[in-house]
Amino acid sequence: MHTNTERTTDAGASANGGKYLTFALGREEYGLPVLKVREIIKVMDITHVPQVAEHVLGVINLRGKVIPVIDLRRKFGFEPQAPTDRTCIIVAEVALASSTLMMGVVVDSVSEVVNVAAAEIEQPPDFGGRRTTDYLLGLAKVKGGVKILLDLDRVLGSDGPIAIAAA
Amino acid sequence: MSKTARKKSAKKPPVIVDDELATFAADPELASMFVADGLEHLGTIEQTILRLEKAPGDLSLVNDLFRPFHTVKGNAGVLGIRSVEAFAHKLETLLDLARSGSHPMGQAEIDVVLSAVDTLTIMVRELPARVAGEPHTDLAASCQNILATVDALIAGGSAAPIESVAVPAPQELEGSMAARIDEDSTIKVNTRKLDALVDMVGELVIAQTILADNPALQRPGDDRLSRQMAQIRRITSDIQRDAMSMRMVPIRRTFQKMARLVRDLSKKFDKPADVTLIGEDTELDRKLIEQLTDPLMHMVRNTVDHGIEPGAERLAAGKPETAQIQLRACHRAGGVVVEIADDGAGLDTERILARAVAQAMVPHGSQMSVAEIHQLIFRPGFSTADRVTEVSGRGVGMDVVRRNIQMLRGRIDIQTVRGRGATFTLHLPLTLAIVDGLVLGVGGDRFVIPTPAVRESLRPTAQQIHTTHGRPSVVQVRDRLIPLLHLGELFSIGNARTAITDGTVVIAEDNGREVALVVDEMLGKREVVIRSLGEMFRGVRGIAGGAILGDGRIGLILDTGGLLALASATQPQAAA
Repeated sequence: MHTNTERTTDAGASANGGKYLTFALGREEYGLPVLKVREIIKVMDITHVPQVAEHVLGVINLRGKVIPVIDLRRKFGFEPQAPTDRTCIIVAEVALASSTLMMGVVVDSVSEVVNVAAAEIEQPPDFGGRRTTDYLLGLAKVKGGVKILLDLDRVLGSDGPIAIAAA
Repeated sequence: MSKTARKKSAKKPPVIVDDELATFAADPELASMFVADGLEHLGTIEQTILRLEKAPGDLSLVNDLFRPFHTVKGNAGVLGIRSVEAFAHKLETLLDLARSGSHPMGQAEIDVVLSAVDTLTIMVRELPARVAGEPHTDLAASCQNILATVDALIAGGSAAPIESVAVPAPQELEGSMAARIDEDSTIKVNTRKLDALVDMVGELVIAQTILADNPALQRPGDDRLSRQMAQIRRITSDIQRDAMSMRMVPIRRTFQKMARLVRDLSKKFDKPADVTLIGEDTELDRKLIEQLTDPLMHMVRNTVDHGIEPGAERLAAGKPETAQIQLRACHRAGGVVVEIADDGAGLDTERILARAVAQAMVPHGSQMSVAEIHQLIFRPGFSTADRVTEVSGRGVGMDVVRRNIQMLRGRIDIQTVRGRGATFTLHLPLTLAIVDGLVLGVGGDRFVIPTPAVRESLRPTAQQIHTTHGRPSVVQVRDRLIPLLHLGELFSIGNARTAITDGTVVIAEDNGREVALVVDEMLGKREVVIRSLGEMFRGVRGIAGGAILGDGRIGLILDTGGLLALASATQPQAAA
């Protein structure tokens, strides 16, 4: 109960402390506000959709709902990697310009849910360019490592309708 | 006292239904909707006028009064209930004056409106009783009284005799409010709830299909299991049909809008025209009707503006001066057909072709069939009108119409005889939620093409395939040459078969243009529930949505029109 104060703010909107779901991409550890996460599923058959940006893998059938799936590796410019048995799809709620939708995000592996205190979060370093730091909520120093906290709305909403991205 | 004005006519023998109730009696469903709606509006009016009494001079409240009166009047007019219509009309006149500020809403006005609402409430509530020939309240005297008072008020400012109005006692009024609550057997449901239900039923259908396709259930020999499965399938499809039917509404309102439009336009252009409505009861998915209104309006405008001739011209051509426009709707072959027919000048094939050549839409001297020429009017920017009128002639319109109809997965046909008229026929699906489709396999991917778009399918021989620039570009089917579209290449699907002769060619048609889709195999026909791919994929061309297939995977639904556009965009030489 004593952790409640940390969770009262909307975990998606700011770099406040709270619970984050952490996952691995390559050798980096990332975190998503846990309130945004709907479920975690195994990689399933993804239906490829033509004319979309490379990082958009397609759509999946999540119990009758059609939801888009994106590959965070490709989105962040990592080398693509074939799915392993640890590869997961994190289904999260993403706020786009005009609506909220469910979206799947493919990550290398899901680690754990960690409590991050506001004091442990540092502002993302300014690399000079807007793009990189735009979708970072901050960097959290937890358990001797650094977790990169993501603002998923910006990661996915930033480039607008995906179909246009592929010319 | 006021009682004298509302004598009960309980002793009256059952009467023959008045002719003003004919429409009302003929359509019980519409009738009960009218009663439920009317009572609700009258309740609103009652509340508003009570607020107005406390804040006289608030014009927005007068506005709020006017609108429900207008609706009640309009609905009564539609059903031909003249007594209600005329009565409401009179009150509306008074409110209109008040609304425009030229007649203040004093106490006398408020009183008369209140008693009018009360009288109207009784009139509307007792309509079913009148139809059934059951005893009902005789309101003639009270109506007369109110109308006379309204007349006096309109004529002589607020100096009207209030006492002459038969204002019902308050307790009676409350009684009438309470009594109306259990009157109607219709309930209003938010359409979002209805859509959610239809969605969930869609999921149920999918889940049932997936279950039925499960190999464990396909083993022969277990009769009981397959009987039970059949039972579930039957119930599921019953639920689906019923859920769908809840969203179905008759096309009547839309048709009536069109009739009104014809009336207004024919006055404006001084082209006398009569409208006949046929099959207004035909039911369509509510969403479909919503999206049908705009294209229909365009088409009706075109019909009046370009289709029918001025009266003098018609007389000179030996036709009756008044043109006939017919709007027809009916169910046909699992879909809906909506027609707009006129007895006007018809399409001028030569002129259309000449115009298209002049506007460089088709090359000079090209050979086109009559049907192909008629399809030209749907091209963006096309217009044969010599002048631009306020309503049409700018060359926007018919292309929008076609695009809208395509978005509804429908198509437009034109039949026309020069000098005798034209008929535009819209073929539409019954609902937007389900499509009958052919499942196609390309590489490992599945696609669904709506069956109405498919003309035929074949396994081409090498002799049927012709190449240009060394690439296979057309397939010859009998005497037609149809452009080939290799889905695997177009969508960059790996491991799709590359040799056309190994695969299957599906000939799809979109508004007179044909395209031969090259796929690996055809996997059968099935009904699928259409799912939107969502906002993120809005810009994807050639794909109309997704469908969840029997194995739980998603098949993309092909949009033939989009594919054709995509093909001509990626192969510039095809346009030359």
